[in-house]
Amino acid sequence: MMQKAARDIPPSYERVPIPLQVISYVLLFLGAAIMLLPFVWMVSTACKPPQELTRIPVTFIPENQVCRANLDGLYDRVPLFNRYLLNSALTTAGRTLGQLITCSLAAYGFARFKFPGRNILFALCLALLMVPLQAFIIQEFILINDLGWRDTFYALIVPGTFSAFALFLLRQAFLQIPIELEEAAMIDGANPLQILIYITLPLSVPALAAFGVITVQAAWNDFLWPLIVSYSPETRVLPVGLSFLIGQRNTPFNLLMMGSFLGTLPMLILFILLQRYFIEGISMSGVKR
Amino acid sequence: MSSFLNLFGKTPLTRRRALWGLLLIAPNTIGLFLFFGWPILQSFRLSFYEWNAFNTPRFVDIENFQRLYDDPMFRKALTNTLKLVGFVVPLEMGLSLSLALLLNQRLRGRILFRTIYFLPVVTSTVAASIVWAFVFQRRYGLMAAALEPFGYGDLNWLVDPDLVLFPIVVVTVWQRIGFDMVLFLAGLQNVPRVLHEAAMIDGANRWQRFRHVTLPMLSPTTFLILTLATISSFQIFDQVYIMTSRTIRGGVGGSARTLSLYLYESGFGQSSDYGYASAIAFILFMIILGITILQLIAQRRWVYYETESGE
Amino acid sequence: MSKSKTLVVLLLGALVISGVSLSSISTPAKAQDGGEAVITPVACAEPGELTMWVWDDNWGKIIGDSISAWEDTYCPGAEVDLQVVPWGEYWDVLTANAPTGELPDVFNMAQDRFYFYAKNDVLLNLQPYWDAAGVDTTVWGTGLVDPYRWGDNGDLYAGPVNWDTVAVFYNKDMFEAAGLELPTADWTWDDFAEAARALTNPDEDVYGAAVYMEYQAGYPNWIAATGTTPDVEAGQTRCTLQDEGSVEALNFLKGLYDEGVMPSVSIVGGSSADDVFNYWASGRVAMITGGSWKLPDALKIEDFGWDVVQLPKHPETGRSRSILHAVGYVANRQTANPDLAANLILYLVSDEGQKFFAEAGGVAPANPSPELQQMWIDSFGDTDVNVQTFVDATVDSQGVTVFGEIWDAINTEIVLNIFDLGLSVEEATQLACEFIDTQLPE
Repeated sequence: MMQKAARDIPPSYERVPIPLQVISYVLLFLGAAIMLLPFVWMVSTACKPPQELTRIPVTFIPENQVCRANLDGLYDRVPLFNRYLLNSALTTAGRTLGQLITCSLAAYGFARFKFPGRNILFALCLALLMVPLQAFIIQEFILINDLGWRDTFYALIVPGTFSAFALFLLRQAFLQIPIELEEAAMIDGANPLQILIYITLPLSVPALAAFGVITVQAAWNDFLWPLIVSYSPETRVLPVGLSFLIGQRNTPFNLLMMGSFLGTLPMLILFILLQRYFIEGISMSGVKR
Repeated sequence: MSSFLNLFGKTPLTRRRALWGLLLIAPNTIGLFLFFGWPILQSFRLSFYEWNAFNTPRFVDIENFQRLYDDPMFRKALTNTLKLVGFVVPLEMGLSLSLALLLNQRLRGRILFRTIYFLPVVTSTVAASIVWAFVFQRRYGLMAAALEPFGYGDLNWLVDPDLVLFPIVVVTVWQRIGFDMVLFLAGLQNVPRVLHEAAMIDGANRWQRFRHVTLPMLSPTTFLILTLATISSFQIFDQVYIMTSRTIRGGVGGSARTLSLYLYESGFGQSSDYGYASAIAFILFMIILGITILQLIAQRRWVYYETESGE
Repeated sequence: MSKSKTLVVLLLGALVISGVSLSSISTPAKAQDGGEAVITPVACAEPGELTMWVWDDNWGKIIGDSISAWEDTYCPGAEVDLQVVPWGEYWDVLTANAPTGELPDVFNMAQDRFYFYAKNDVLLNLQPYWDAAGVDTTVWGTGLVDPYRWGDNGDLYAGPVNWDTVAVFYNKDMFEAAGLELPTADWTWDDFAEAARALTNPDEDVYGAAVYMEYQAGYPNWIAATGTTPDVEAGQTRCTLQDEGSVEALNFLKGLYDEGVMPSVSIVGGSSADDVFNYWASGRVAMITGGSWKLPDALKIEDFGWDVVQLPKHPETGRSRSILHAVGYVANRQTANPDLAANLILYLVSDEGQKFFAEAGGVAPANPSPELQQMWIDSFGDTDVNVQTFVDATVDSQGVTVFGEIWDAINTEIVLNIFDLGLSVEEATQLACEFIDTQLPE
């Protein structure tokens, strides 16, 4: 009986005793309320008329809902909203694909090959995460400017195709994969690239899904760097485009929140689509463990 | 020449593998050093100069570091940063692991919950800043309402120097937890089922399986998150900005100022003391580097890898 | 009130005459449409290309229109690449661009930031151009342009875009409910305090006033009324917060705060002028000090009747002095086209160039032409609100004398120390002066 249960229900979906379930739910609901609060405010503000913005305490359900008018107002104030959305999508896609290639190659190299200076090189890569961007952004901008990349998509995408963070994430994931499968493929005469593509990456689907969600959202929300390098609407990404609504004296928070909400939707959809792979990744890859 | 080749391994096979390894890491490593390493080195060089971005840099030897040594604001920022790291890292890791374990169960609505817990990662920073300032607002805030029955309704969360770090810890953990949850969930999935099955056959209970199967198998992910959480906690910036900019950025008397905020204010503040900011960045870097190296050494004792890497 | 109105007309009239008498060197072919202009633009010598930065996209649109008019009428063939950089990061982006040599040719400047840019020799001296075009730089009045003067001769390095002044926004309904007469421009501090007390209602959680927030809209206005320059002496010589006038003004406000007539910063929820404005708009306080820039937002209020009135007068000096700030247009000293840049600035501050701001409303044009000022008032449409108040406030106004890190510290630290953490005025001003002393040159 015990054995049957163990086989049918994998531990990740284990049945949970009722008291534990209750506690889980209570905790989850409490936490969820805290997590949701700013998001709910964002959505409700997006539908408020200007007069309702200054209420103290904050109202969470607008008395007069003017979602449509605010949507029009947003496009009125930010006529190139769609263009910014497209620029963000292009930048995000470029950076994520770039990182997927450079970082999975490098992570595989660091995880599975021995070469002189390996540990030092890895530590140095990691060390790059330890300096806040504000400390070297001017120097980085000087470099981009010297390359002639000011106000181009190269500036937005190329530096973002390299990542110490993703390198670390994928290396840790690759290190968790049993080496036997790779060794078998090696004996069959596969070269390291083939092994990476056909064995290691498919076995790392959960980590890749996590990588995808995290990298895409970081690129999508990136603000300071695009702001410094982009000077025309042609290269302006969404977070920068929306920041024009934040004035020295006046900020139409309802329009800003409408824009932020629209900008968040693609990320939420992506998360919902990818999150099942954190859970079902292995079975999807079709490899039995 | 042959001694040079020996560096890459003693047999043709190991040499071949060494070359493959270098080839694989080359694109990312070169890109990283060009686009991040080089500017960072340039910035560190500037810590020996007086420079405000508009003048010609003037070499001042170690003057910036001497100023740091005597600067009470720097000491305060360092203390605040260490306190924040001490509070945030354990809380963040404990909560996100618990959350991942909870949401890895067969619970109704787990997809909805996962999405909700991920929301702070994508919520607009402006929205977050307004709402959190409201939550901790004196008299009208939700926190005041919640604590009123216990007689703590009039706490001045965002202004009182003794309290202001608490809201920052809350917001930091709030913002990061969904991110770590994603990594932990992916890590949990990598725990081979056969191990759990074997443990169950041996009669291990839930806690024993967690302790002796899940935790060791999850340790590479735990190590990843611990390292990243430490590195980023030393650089807490947005959260302080969020929580304190409506009353006073960095708190009254710098009671909430972190090193990276101080660095930013020094470099991009009105006086634009970029050399000084670079000196702060360098010290911050050395501290984080030291701690990360300790973590890398310590991991050999507690992190379990399926295979010894590269052997 | 009519007295000060007459005064402003007289003053502006005098300025018009002095301006016109000097502007004679070259008048464009285009005939001026009626009236005498305060500042007349000049045709450019040679067209070329310029880059220009502004920090507000509304301004960007207005300035863009006025640049097009310049390109058409005064400088055919010139091309201006107008770029908007978001306000929150404007100064950071300038800083990042400085070492790359890519600073814009013309850009917007704030009074408290001017010192840094002038000191680092970033800006083009516009004085020769004002002189050549026959512009008397005193037409703008001291508060608008004196903070933009530099060097031994007081050369003017910026052309002012707009002015902001401060007045008291009050909730009419609350005044009526309390049976009080509405305030008039000749009211005094005592009248103000009396009204504030009468309007306070702790049971309803309503305060009488909140008037100390921030440098521009807050306590410095009260210090200025005593005749003391707030915070820092002009010329950046010393901290004035421990002077008699400063202590008197702060103690007056602190007294009202201690009486429970004014809320603390943490109760309002933030230390910015916007926070206190929102608090007022939510009906929790009867009177606040607010800037002219808040008129468009205030006109959207539907929940209660309101109006604005001149700041109350100090009982002894008989003065009320508004802090005044003017954004400036400056040129980069290293621009390839200094003549063209200066020519564009001259146009933008001229009557013709400023018409675009006056018509758009919201932003009050710096050019003192009575016609333009009236146009600005009219741009708010048919309203009972006494918009003229803000124009009147320009007459006896106080320009910004704080600069650099002092600006941030003054906006928040001293306010929180006195109006939240319970420090005495003496303790708080001593702390502030200790900090200010570290920032003063030499």
